[in-house]
Amino acid sequence: MRFTSRPKMNYMPGTASLIEDIDKKHLVLLRDGRTLIGFLRSIDQFANLVLQQTVERIHVGKRYGDIPRGIFIVRGENVVLLGEIDLEKESDTSLQQVCIEDILEEQRLQQQSRQEAEKTKHLALKERGLVMPRPDIMDEYGVQHQY
Amino acid sequence: MFRFQSLDEDCTLEKEEGLVEEEDEIDQFNDDTFGDGAIDDDWQEEHKRLAELEEQKNNGLGGLGLGALGMGGMGGGNASTVHLPPPASRVPHPSSLPPPHHSLSSMPPPGLEERGGGDLAESLAMLILGADPAIASVGGPAGPGDRSTGLPPPSIPQQHHHPSQLPPHHPLTSSGLPPGPPHPSLLSYQQHQHLIRRGAAPMPQMNSHNIWENNLGFGPVSITPGLLTQMEDSPLMSIIKEVGLPNRPPPMMSEDGRDLSERAPPPRSSSPVIGSPPVRAVPIGTPPKQPMSHAMNHQQQIHHPTAVHVRAPVQHQHRYPPSFPERISPNTLLNIANSPLCRPPFPAGMGPVLSQIQRAQMLNSQVAGFPRGCQGPPLLPGGGGFRPFFGQPPPHRMGPHPGGPPPNHNHVPCPVIRHNTTHLHPQHRRMLTQRMQSRGGERGGRVGDWRSRDPYSNLMTQREKEWVAKIQMMQLQSTDPYLDDYYYQNYFEKMEKRQERDRDGVRKEHTTKLITPQVAKLEHTYRPVQFAGSLGKLTVSSVNNPRKMIDTVVTSRTDDEEKREKQVWNKRRQILYTVEKMYSLLLEVQDFEKRFMQTPEEQREALLEQHKTHTLQLYASLKEKEWDDRVSDEQCLLIMSVRKGKRLISRLIPFLPPLQAATVVMGIARNLPALAKKDKQDQVLCWLVEPIAVVISSLSSASLTDLLQELQGSEGQLSRVLQNKFGVTLLYLILSEGERMQSSNPTCQLMDDNRWTELVFSVTRELLNVPSSSLSPPLFTPPNLLSLFSRYVDRQRLELLQEKLQISALSR
Repeated sequence: MRFTSRPKMNYMPGTASLIEDIDKKHLVLLRDGRTLIGFLRSIDQFANLVLQQTVERIHVGKRYGDIPRGIFIVRGENVVLLGEIDLEKESDTSLQQVCIEDILEEQRLQQQSRQEAEKTKHLALKERGLVMPRPDIMDEYGVQHQY
Repeated sequence: MFRFQSLDEDCTLEKEEGLVEEEDEIDQFNDDTFGDGAIDDDWQEEHKRLAELEEQKNNGLGGLGLGALGMGGMGGGNASTVHLPPPASRVPHPSSLPPPHHSLSSMPPPGLEERGGGDLAESLAMLILGADPAIASVGGPAGPGDRSTGLPPPSIPQQHHHPSQLPPHHPLTSSGLPPGPPHPSLLSYQQHQHLIRRGAAPMPQMNSHNIWENNLGFGPVSITPGLLTQMEDSPLMSIIKEVGLPNRPPPMMSEDGRDLSERAPPPRSSSPVIGSPPVRAVPIGTPPKQPMSHAMNHQQQIHHPTAVHVRAPVQHQHRYPPSFPERISPNTLLNIANSPLCRPPFPAGMGPVLSQIQRAQMLNSQVAGFPRGCQGPPLLPGGGGFRPFFGQPPPHRMGPHPGGPPPNHNHVPCPVIRHNTTHLHPQHRRMLTQRMQSRGGERGGRVGDWRSRDPYSNLMTQREKEWVAKIQMMQLQSTDPYLDDYYYQNYFEKMEKRQERDRDGVRKEHTTKLITPQVAKLEHTYRPVQFAGSLGKLTVSSVNNPRKMIDTVVTSRTDDEEKREKQVWNKRRQILYTVEKMYSLLLEVQDFEKRFMQTPEEQREALLEQHKTHTLQLYASLKEKEWDDRVSDEQCLLIMSVRKGKRLISRLIPFLPPLQAATVVMGIARNLPALAKKDKQDQVLCWLVEPIAVVISSLSSASLTDLLQELQGSEGQLSRVLQNKFGVTLLYLILSEGERMQSSNPTCQLMDDNRWTELVFSVTRELLNVPSSSLSPPLFTPPNLLSLFSRYVDRQRLELLQEKLQISALSR
């Protein structure tokens, strides 16, 4: 029993500290929408993370695909949230894993349909006189170019 | 290197060393940016080397070949003995020189490899030294007269190495070798910097590392341990803490007439107080360094006393005692590292330098139990096509490290509650301990198992975790916990009360006070450094010793003085206020006529009434409280003391009914000396002349006499009157009026009593007595004065008077 239990240190009980999460598998959601799953190996005071054996998981509907990425170092400010993955519960999920190519294709389709919807919405609004700024075509100074 | 100074535009004149000093600062910034723990090394190099090693291993060179290579790589034939390589040299082993793809093919190294064994390093060193003294001299600062003896040989191949990494300059260096040393100027600026940096890099980092170490052990004041041990309790300590250690003169004085700037810069000797802000001894952003060779440290300390900073005592630092002994001799370390494990199947070239991974493995093995200890190049859990860790991470230049708690730690059965957590509420702590335990209990079996299979665990050492925790705890420090974390405090207070209620005070161990890291509010007053016996202030001001541009002196008056001043001001304000009020009335009175014309008939009566009341009011404000026919002296004085007041009176008099006007004039005459004194600045009494003249002309003889008497009223008054222009004028006015009265109306009552005569006599007497210098000239001299005097004085005196007063006979 002695040898199997690792020495436990009570780091900052009651606070949100990542120290206890080290060497555990985590799911990290980034600000750009990516989902990374990996073993949290190291942290620092800014909550920069070192993830090992990272896998980027793309979800489309009920299906997902994993892209192995290796070692990630994530700057703390880009993390939206992260949570520990229970290794036992990890396997019982209703989501279906597919291969990468498929999921990428699905994602592409999803993006496309979204964009089209966005465009039609934008057009409809424009016809009604409301011009919503589209972040992708907006300049620094908020100038919109109507192409 | 003054050539390079031109490139360096921000080199100030102060920096005599020129480029060199700049290097130092850059170096330090490098440290701050990347941390003490940051490897300054070129990881690509390391990676290449390790990759090659791996390849060779895979190619079936076998351990022996590796060993040979490694031995050759180590140089100096030290392969037999396991020794700690000089920590500062992130040794790119010369074994990386041999590979033929290095463009320095013209270099001897391939030949060197054949030699192998003992004198590899020496021969290499000699070769390079002979060939390129410029580079060698750069390596010099790490060399002679210096801290670590182990440095020179490795540093030279090291530095030699770097030119090889910059291909464009290859032809220069390689071609330069046979004929002679390439001129340093041929090296690019960058290259040169690179070289210098290499040489200088170890030092500051070692310095700061020591400080870091010390900080953990010794608390607030970071003094190099060497010095500390020497002067434990001496009074010097306090001085040192106060002022800081003196700058050690740069140990590298120019030898052999070499250009100083070619050498690596001397260690950064920044006074803590003077000069630019000191590099924080422990930049908080730097992760803990692995402990280096103790010998190194010690030498380091002695030769380079580093800046001493007086820091606010931070209590929590004491609460983080390292869980392992910091100072372990290299041998002990290695014993720890090597003995529990059978010799790991790593190439001997890596030798006793444990990488992070290896350390982690060690820990894992300790945790998991020895049987599992040596699993060769670990298999990754979950498969994956990753390369074995082996080639990837560059080895730290740190020495071997127990990697966590010493081995005996395993025998601690229960979870260790560190003291630092008592900062939080004990109840809280208890709760979480229980939680941890329960969690641990469930998963204990499985966790251990899983951990043992995870070869990458414990990459973050205990120390590093503590370091992060420490930073986070520091953020919790507060001087006022109720202000900073109100809800936390309150929540736990409530909880405690609730528990006490529930358990009826069974558990006595509750502490009623909440313990959070509290830092005493310290007064951080900056006192600029002053040198005893120096004249004036420091000429160089910096962030740490700002120089006052303006010497502002605070004149703090005592309370009494302030009160008095206030009183004076208040009084003045009061007077002005009164004057203002009177003025408003006066203006109304003055405007009366105009208004009178404008208003219709019916309302004229009312207006007239109003007018009367106004005038009465005005007079009332001037006069004495009880007596109607006398003007209050104080009031009069007060008002007249202000210029505005004088003006007011002068305007007022014409509007007053004659009697009242007369009294006012009387009052003026009575107080003339005082008024005159007050008027010295303003000199506006003369405004009063005109209205008074009018009044005088309307005076009766009796009142005139009275007036004259008033004028002469008190002792010495007349003389003072005569000194004042206005007074003289007034006097003349009175006299001339009297004369006019007498001359015009023989039956006037002026002569009825002797007062007038007497008064005039006294006047004449005074006039004669008064020296002409003090007699001020009047505004005008009434013409009939002479005739007046001629009535009373004899001829002789008359003449004198005439002369004095410059009354011409013509003015008769």
